[in-house]
Amino acid sequence: MHERELPAITHLQFLVLGILLSGETSGRSIREVIASYGHRRSAPAFYQMMARMERDGIVEGSYEQIMVRDQAVTERRYRITPSGSQQWKQACEFYETIKIAATRERWSNA
Amino acid sequence: MRNERWCEILGRFLPPGPRRELFEPACQDLRASDAYSRRRRLPFALRALGLLAESWRVYLFGTLPKEPLSMFTNDIRQAFRLMLREPGFTLAAVLTLALGVGVNVAVFALVETVLLRPLPYTAGDQLAVIRHRDQRTGITKDFIAIGDYIDLAHRQTAFDGFASYDTFQSTVSGLGEPFRAHGLAGSPELLDTLGVHPALGRAFQSADSRKGAAHVILITDEMWRDHLGSDPSILGRGIKIGDAEHQVIGVLPPGFAFPPDSRVDIVFPALLPAAAPAERKSGWTFAIARLKSGMTLQQSAAHLGLVSRQLEQEFPTSNRGSEYYPVPLREALVGNTGSALVLMLAAATLVLLIASANVANLLMARSLARRREMAVRMALGAGYARLMAQLLTESVALAAVAGSTGILIGLWMTKAIVAMIPKSLSVPGLSTIHMNLNVLAFALALTVGTAIVCGLTSAFTVRTGGSSGSLVSPTRVTAGAQTRRSAAALVVTEVALAIVLLIGAGLILRTLTRLISVDPGFQADHVLSMTVQFPADRYRDVGARRALYQRGFAALKNMPEIRAAGVAAVTPLTGNNWTVGFQRADQPVAAGERPPEVGWQVASGGYFQALQIPLRSGRLFDDRDITGRLVVIISEAIERRFFPNESAVGREVLIGERRAEIVGVVGNIRRADIREQPRADMYFSFENEPGNQITFFVQTSGEPTAATSAVQSALKAIEPGMVILQTRSMRDIVADGFRMTKLVLWLLGVFAATALALAAVGIYGVMAYMVRQRMREIGTRIALGASRADILWLVMKRGAVIAGLGCGIGAGIALVVTRWLSSMLYGVSASDPMTLILATIVLTVTVLAACCLPARRAAAIDPAKILAES
Repeated sequence: MHERELPAITHLQFLVLGILLSGETSGRSIREVIASYGHRRSAPAFYQMMARMERDGIVEGSYEQIMVRDQAVTERRYRITPSGSQQWKQACEFYETIKIAATRERWSNA
Repeated sequence: MRNERWCEILGRFLPPGPRRELFEPACQDLRASDAYSRRRRLPFALRALGLLAESWRVYLFGTLPKEPLSMFTNDIRQAFRLMLREPGFTLAAVLTLALGVGVNVAVFALVETVLLRPLPYTAGDQLAVIRHRDQRTGITKDFIAIGDYIDLAHRQTAFDGFASYDTFQSTVSGLGEPFRAHGLAGSPELLDTLGVHPALGRAFQSADSRKGAAHVILITDEMWRDHLGSDPSILGRGIKIGDAEHQVIGVLPPGFAFPPDSRVDIVFPALLPAAAPAERKSGWTFAIARLKSGMTLQQSAAHLGLVSRQLEQEFPTSNRGSEYYPVPLREALVGNTGSALVLMLAAATLVLLIASANVANLLMARSLARRREMAVRMALGAGYARLMAQLLTESVALAAVAGSTGILIGLWMTKAIVAMIPKSLSVPGLSTIHMNLNVLAFALALTVGTAIVCGLTSAFTVRTGGSSGSLVSPTRVTAGAQTRRSAAALVVTEVALAIVLLIGAGLILRTLTRLISVDPGFQADHVLSMTVQFPADRYRDVGARRALYQRGFAALKNMPEIRAAGVAAVTPLTGNNWTVGFQRADQPVAAGERPPEVGWQVASGGYFQALQIPLRSGRLFDDRDITGRLVVIISEAIERRFFPNESAVGREVLIGERRAEIVGVVGNIRRADIREQPRADMYFSFENEPGNQITFFVQTSGEPTAATSAVQSALKAIEPGMVILQTRSMRDIVADGFRMTKLVLWLLGVFAATALALAAVGIYGVMAYMVRQRMREIGTRIALGASRADILWLVMKRGAVIAGLGCGIGAGIALVVTRWLSSMLYGVSASDPMTLILATIVLTVTVLAACCLPARRAAAIDPAKILAES
């Protein structure tokens, strides 16, 4: 059987990249979504993870000033890079392969 | 302040990397959340502070494996939960430990300030004052003869600096209202020796201290600011001090004072001859020196001893038996306060040890109660190391709370102790005492040490306990023999330490009672002492001074509340050791020999009446002595020693080249210190040579201090320019002699009482626990016919054994350690059997009283109920 490499990203990074596939998103929104999946992170811990992902080249971050109820707030926004999309796809394929192999195994044992 | 500003300010407390990557975006999110939602539970600044703390945590530990950290935080959480669940236990343990820590922190704060804090001079530990010892009499003096000082300064090679100094007060006029300035007169080498350089202008030069030199002074920064408005052109300005104009040549750096903690306004150059005068003891000065680098105190003492012997050989008449020796400046300043503080620290350590033993016992009992919980944890795979880590964390949490409370107690106690130290003890640094980093580090070390010791004790209980039985039978968790022995050993230790403190306190108590009952040889009750100075320029002539005092005595005698009044140069019991050579005119000492020394005093006849010093024979000084020949009065001790089997009255003594007639013999008094035996004293007639500065002694019919203002007014009416330097009752001066003893007794008493109470609580705990553990056994014994008395005896016997063992061991320790107290004791030996017996009785009674309650509970057990339950 062809040997497949394990995904280079963690489950949490997989989740973040999945969120970013739908387009550029603010850090605050990403944090809210991953919290809805049961992964609560303090803001500094979350931004530390994002900084690491930026250093790995899988996301890009930028600041944008927005107005919230007449108050100017600088928001950190992220978008997925081509390398990030590639990594996400590879992780998806890996899990898909595992899933197919496991299904076959179950049938053959039946 | 705006939220954005808070983010900016708090962000500065992080390095740039984590600030940019973690804190700033998190803070912006917080601002956005605030903007979206109006519901805020806490102010923004507090929440941003939380983010800062979290950013630090993530920055420092974010990459660490999560498990150990969460294990530790879980243990901490569990420890605090446990403390809240058992408030009684927590309160007892926290208060006990807090008391131990607090007492230590308070005493250490004093020790740190007085003994450990560096002196305010460059390499202050290298400074030493030079003292004189008369090897024939053993009398020591803080000051040295001018002739000897000059020769010592020239000949010594052990010191880098060797300087003379003296302090005095003088009146400064011409700067607004005249005021009394505190002066320091020093040789030109003084500032260099101290390592101090003027902040403005120049220091003294050799020429400034020669006779006839221009009057120059240095002023302190405080004087420059407070009285001269920080005048930038102060150099060269003239200031009138006394009756002469002095030119300012420099300003000293801020905070300068010598001796430390004293007030200094002006520094004068001391007038010194270039070579030692023929009359070597014509003047006196204090001396200070700086040890040469690499030279020890012992080496410099040996060197000074050598120079002293050279001087003795060269000048036998004046220097026979004279020896000069260095004393470290700190030791000279602190005196016997240092040893008292070290003693207090040792006593406080004993209190902490007793408190720790008590808490260790409490923790041990709790560990036993939690043995089932531990057994379950072990059954689920936790190792001993894991359990020990948890128990240690619990005791650290407990000790942290106790330590914090202890620091607060310590703060309060420090203030209380400082308030109790009498001003007359002049302990250096007391004004600057505060809780600094050193004291906090000490408190932290104590807390951590105590936590580890207590934690290890309870961990030891788990280790030795064996746990499988606990898992099977949760209701029958009993202590093993080893644990019971450990608990008893802890209580024996407590009792032993408590008796050491009790014996110490007992010895000091006996010392105090002896001191209070000492007869100083004069009557201190109803006597007021008032040291005054009359303006020198108005009374240059002896006749004018004599007339002034005559008017003064007459005014005082006319006051109805005054029974007698007199004056003297030296106030008894103030440490004064001035001496003078004594030789009978008919039996002079051999040529080249130095006459033996006796105490020196100048007094009027009224002095003896005011202090009720008894006249044994002859007469007191009176008006006959004003213009007559030189006369002296001697004390009984001189008569017995130099005139055995004959009367001294009418005989003559040699005072230098002059002859003086002995006109009276008076009783001996304790001159320098209440602890010293009465010494031989010779009194010179004040009437013969009255000075400008003198102390009045006034015997009053009522409370002496109540007459203060009346006496002041009477004297001021005669001379309005008179300055009162000090007013104190003689009773107060006598009490100075045992103030330190009283303070030590108070503290040792408090420590001993605390130790006694803790030991009682400790033994009560152990006995109560023992009774609880042996309920079934006691029930069975009663069922089988044991009487209540038998059961009482069973419990009390165990208490008596613990008390006996503790007292025995403690008495042995006390016999060794109370030797440290010897220098503080008076009239009682460090191994005083009476104190030992009394302390043992007090402790045994306390211990047995503490055993009574558990014993009565054991005797009241209903055997039917206990046996049915089991």
